[in-house]
Amino acid sequence: MTEQQSAKLLPSLFARIDEEQRITVLHIGPALPETVTFFSRYRCKLHFVDVFDELPIVPEEEGGESALAFFRRLFNFPAGTRFDICLFWDLFNFLDAQAVEACMSSLRPWLIEGSQGHGFAVHNTRTPQRDEIFSICEPDQLAVRTRHRRLAGYSPHPQSHLKTMLSVFQFDRSVLLADSRLELLLSVRFLSSA
Amino acid sequence: MIGPSIVIKGTVTGDEDLLVQGKVEGSIELGNHEVTVGQSGQVKADIQAKVVRIDGAVAGDVKGNEKVVISKSGNVRGNIVAPRVTLEDGAIFKGSIDMDPGEETVSVSLASSKPSSPGPDEIAPGLDLKSG
Repeated sequence: MTEQQSAKLLPSLFARIDEEQRITVLHIGPALPETVTFFSRYRCKLHFVDVFDELPIVPEEEGGESALAFFRRLFNFPAGTRFDICLFWDLFNFLDAQAVEACMSSLRPWLIEGSQGHGFAVHNTRTPQRDEIFSICEPDQLAVRTRHRRLAGYSPHPQSHLKTMLSVFQFDRSVLLADSRLELLLSVRFLSSA
Repeated sequence: MIGPSIVIKGTVTGDEDLLVQGKVEGSIELGNHEVTVGQSGQVKADIQAKVVRIDGAVAGDVKGNEKVVISKSGNVRGNIVAPRVTLEDGAIFKGSIDMDPGEETVSVSLASSKPSSPGPDEIAPGLDLKSG
């Protein structure tokens, strides 16, 4: 079942984009019809990376790989790729601190000054898990589907911790949502100092 | 039509629309025509056509000069370049979608794999199968 959810901060991402501007977008999650249709109004290249489908990260000692190797494998984009927009959705709620840092480190080479991001965090760490898949219908409107499987590893971070962990992004704005979650608008820090 | 029991390894070119219900490995180049990968179709190839509709499985890059449609039964792993792309609910897609192909050049690899021999009644007369 698909529900609609408003997004207060998403319009800010698109307000800065000229319709004639060619943009490159990283969408963390599965490719969904609404997102493809929405971005067809832009001169756009969309990269879908369904990190959620690969979770949890199996540790090396259990035959898996390090968080850094995990993200480097998934963020293996063509040379020259630079993302203007990164849509993280609620990814950070399902990664431990080490994995968030590995995610940022692996993403850093693909960012440019002016890259922006959007995601969801929690107001407090007791906020219950929600297994949802997001896509965009309009700049201020999301489509939300229930995830078929419950994701393991839900470990939301306090906002202050997440600010530190997101080493290459800074919080531009955050909005408290009705369900005690936070909507985050992010912009890349000066990469030379990240 | 490439029938369900047919396996082609090589390059498929031609001057008419094509329905793939079998297996193709290599490349499919039908610049001004439509390619449909049917529900039983399994394509491990780059596809280039005016319109590409995918109801089956494709592993490879897809270039649609006009549009690409991945239907609810479609499963695509690769990169899509087309001015219009439609993803139906239920479709599985992993890769990138470039919807601003203006500066892109057509890039189709020419496979040189050993061809198999499809039955003549399964290959439409306007299609040309090349092999290296």
